[in-house]
Amino acid sequence: MSEVPTIRVVDVHKRFGSLEVLKGVSFEVHRGNVVSMIGASGSGKSTLLRCINHLETPTTGDIFIEGESLCFRGDAAGSRAPRPLSEINRMRRDLGTVFQQFNLWPHMTVLGNVIEAPNRVRGLSRKAAAQLGGECLARVHLEDKALEYPARLSGGQQQRVAIARALAMQPKVMLFDEPTSSLDPELTDEVLGVMRELAADGTTMIVVTHEMGFAREVSDRVMFLHNGLIEEEGPPDQMFGAPKSERFRQFIAKYLY
Amino acid sequence: MSETLQQLLDISIFWEYRTVLLRGLAVNFYVFVCAAIVALSLGLGAALLRVSRRRPLRALGTLHVEIFRNAPDYVMVVWVHFVLPLLIGTLLHTRFELNPFVSAIIALGFVYSGYFAETFRAGIEAVPIGQIEAGRSCGMSDRHILWRIVLPQVVRRMLPESINQFISLFKATTIVSLIAVPDLMYQVSMITQQEMRPLPLYTGAALVYFAVILVASYALRAASERWRNKIFA
Ligand SMILES: Nc1ncnc2c1ncn2[C@@H]1O[C@H](COP(=O)(O)OP(=O)(O)OP(=O)(O)O)[C@@H](O)[C@H]1O
Ligand SMILES: [Mg+2]
Repeated sequence: MSEVPTIRVVDVHKRFGSLEVLKGVSFEVHRGNVVSMIGASGSGKSTLLRCINHLETPTTGDIFIEGESLCFRGDAAGSRAPRPLSEINRMRRDLGTVFQQFNLWPHMTVLGNVIEAPNRVRGLSRKAAAQLGGECLARVHLEDKALEYPARLSGGQQQRVAIARALAMQPKVMLFDEPTSSLDPELTDEVLGVMRELAADGTTMIVVTHEMGFAREVSDRVMFLHNGLIEEEGPPDQMFGAPKSERFRQFIAKYLY
Repeated sequence: MSETLQQLLDISIFWEYRTVLLRGLAVNFYVFVCAAIVALSLGLGAALLRVSRRRPLRALGTLHVEIFRNAPDYVMVVWVHFVLPLLIGTLLHTRFELNPFVSAIIALGFVYSGYFAETFRAGIEAVPIGQIEAGRSCGMSDRHILWRIVLPQVVRRMLPESINQFISLFKATTIVSLIAVPDLMYQVSMITQQEMRPLPLYTGAALVYFAVILVASYALRAASERWRNKIFA
């Protein structure tokens, strides 16, 4: 494939003090692909996702969004300076993030949450933003809740609003960090259902999840993170059908029984 | 005997002087509003310093809060009106005076900024970090996050506590008569000197303040509850 990858992570290390959480992670995600990231608690999945949208600065290594370095601004002379925050903010518009804790803004209506950034960050007119927001809410099947406040919605509905909010930035890639982990089981399915539809529509996605069924059925590629390194990766059938590493075998065994 | 008592208590004198007294009350409101604006702006500034990532800025914010929250308002009013101009005058080698209104507004504004800073800070810290990270992930600048995500929630959260602080500030405006700001208390003491009837005059003043504060605080509380209930269900 000659196409520039949508996301390219290159040898990312991340330390917190003396604790090295990421120990050199590299991978690529191409347009339209769904990559699931799985691994035990504390293996560094969230940290990796937070490096990709620069909520954490990698200690070393870099991330490229459609070929553009997120961490450094290179000039023609080849010197590299850390990228200023204003430019990072511009690049973040291309990444839609959905968090475990929804993180909706409670003082804004559902529609207000969805159109805030399109309107005031991307500079769409209020009317155009509302139009786009309506479309995004329709994709998560919540167009009739546009004028409610988040506190009046169930957890599953709140998470779908968060997905619509991220979609409304029309991002190049959607990042999900355990989007169903704080939901009751009966609400998990409605969120996973929306994510399946996004995947079917060709949305590029990186999904950190403990939902093995979702990872297996929806992803093009699965990555198993262990102690800050990608221990094993591959297509889901191969990964789940014939796991190579002993650790991954032990990990999935816990989900099978 | 009962006639003297009746005369002592006869509040009609209050009515006779109503224009002067109302003008005095208007002065109370004027000082209150100006001091509240100063207190809220400085309080927000100090609160932002206190939650800053840089330690020297945090220390500066703490210093501001500790100085002004622990300064008695009466002492501050006198100090700003009589001592500060002397200091400035000596430094600039000129005569320097402050208008009593200005002194009152500066002094009360600074004292109450110490309280408001703490209320603002508590409100800012109550906003979950995840909401701020959600804003960052959409490419929002820190300023955008502050004005659109954090402060609107802080204001709603602060309301109940700040109503109490506004009431204290309003009560504190009655001490500005000490530096000859012509507020209601000042007018009452002037009239008392002519009429020699302190009882009805001061009782009347107390009743007016009481009624104003009671009505205003009920109205504000009801309004703030209605507004908050929508989001903090
Ligand atoms: N800001 C931080 N400061 C210090 N240590 C941190 C910080 N963030 C994460 N860590 C540590 O890094 C390690 C990896 O954390 P991370 O949240 O990336 O794991 P995870 O794979 O997402 O786990 P989980 O499945 O529980 O969400 C943990 O040991 C955690 O304590
Ligand atoms: Mg995590």
